[in-house]
Amino acid sequence: MDEIALHVLDIGMNAVAAGARHVVVTIVEDVEKDRLEIRVVDDGKGMDPEQVRDVLERFSSDKAQRKRPIALGLALLRQTAEKCGGGLRITSTPGRGTQVDAWMRHRDYDRPPLGNLADTLFALCLGAPEVDVQCTHQKNGTVFHFDSAQVRQALGPGVSLQSPEGVRAVRRALGSRE
Amino acid sequence: MKLSDLQQWRDRAVRDVSMRGERKEWRIVVSMGTSGIAAGARDVMRALMDEIERQELENVEVALTGSLGLDDFEPVLRVEHQDESVFYGRLTPEAARSIISEHVCQGRKVERFVIGLPKERE
Repeated sequence: MDEIALHVLDIGMNAVAAGARHVVVTIVEDVEKDRLEIRVVDDGKGMDPEQVRDVLERFSSDKAQRKRPIALGLALLRQTAEKCGGGLRITSTPGRGTQVDAWMRHRDYDRPPLGNLADTLFALCLGAPEVDVQCTHQKNGTVFHFDSAQVRQALGPGVSLQSPEGVRAVRRALGSRE
Repeated sequence: MKLSDLQQWRDRAVRDVSMRGERKEWRIVVSMGTSGIAAGARDVMRALMDEIERQELENVEVALTGSLGLDDFEPVLRVEHQDESVFYGRLTPEAARSIISEHVCQGRKVERFVIGLPKERE
């Protein structure tokens, strides 16, 4: 995973797999404070503390104990974040949802670039059109905001996000970022 | 944004979704788990949707899944049409566009990217 945006897609897919109807992504790049923060909140089925521990200790756990490869990417992101002077925290409540927070030094030599956030949102909201995908990206005072529910509303009832018209509308909404 | 806020939206959204739901003639399932993403599934997805839009296709449904269990072949997708499922692997964006323009639009499989069904590998 050589982009932060690919990690965001991976976490977003965890949310979709967990039955989430809403996925809210927040990325804050504070260059002055040398900090990059990523937050992904979903209303999926959530995890109990034991599952959270399993996810985070993915690499150290006995291979035979793994039932399914759930959320392998979170262990990867944690590794990257820790290498870049940061960390990763999962807050989850069964039946209510999960919040993933990752943070790292913005100027760290090992920090992956943000990458193509627009393509990540494009893939996520078109691949899971029943899920509302929101994203806010802040960097040095500029804010980009995307909300697939707004795009769907603008299209009106009966027009799928996956239709040619829907794809164009999503692309337009994503193209408005700087 | 709090988890409790999201909770409230969910019930409403579930209702909305159950009102949509229609079966399309073609269904494409893209493997978008960690290994798929690392191998380039996002670019494949983009190419698929771009081509669906370019060809003005209304009869294709695209879905994402965690993993199709074919990690060695990622990026992977499955095309479902009537009773047939075709698995494609080691995809590129160009291959994804071909799957739309040749398989979906003309009914001709893109043989060089077809992989066997999972049971054939066991």
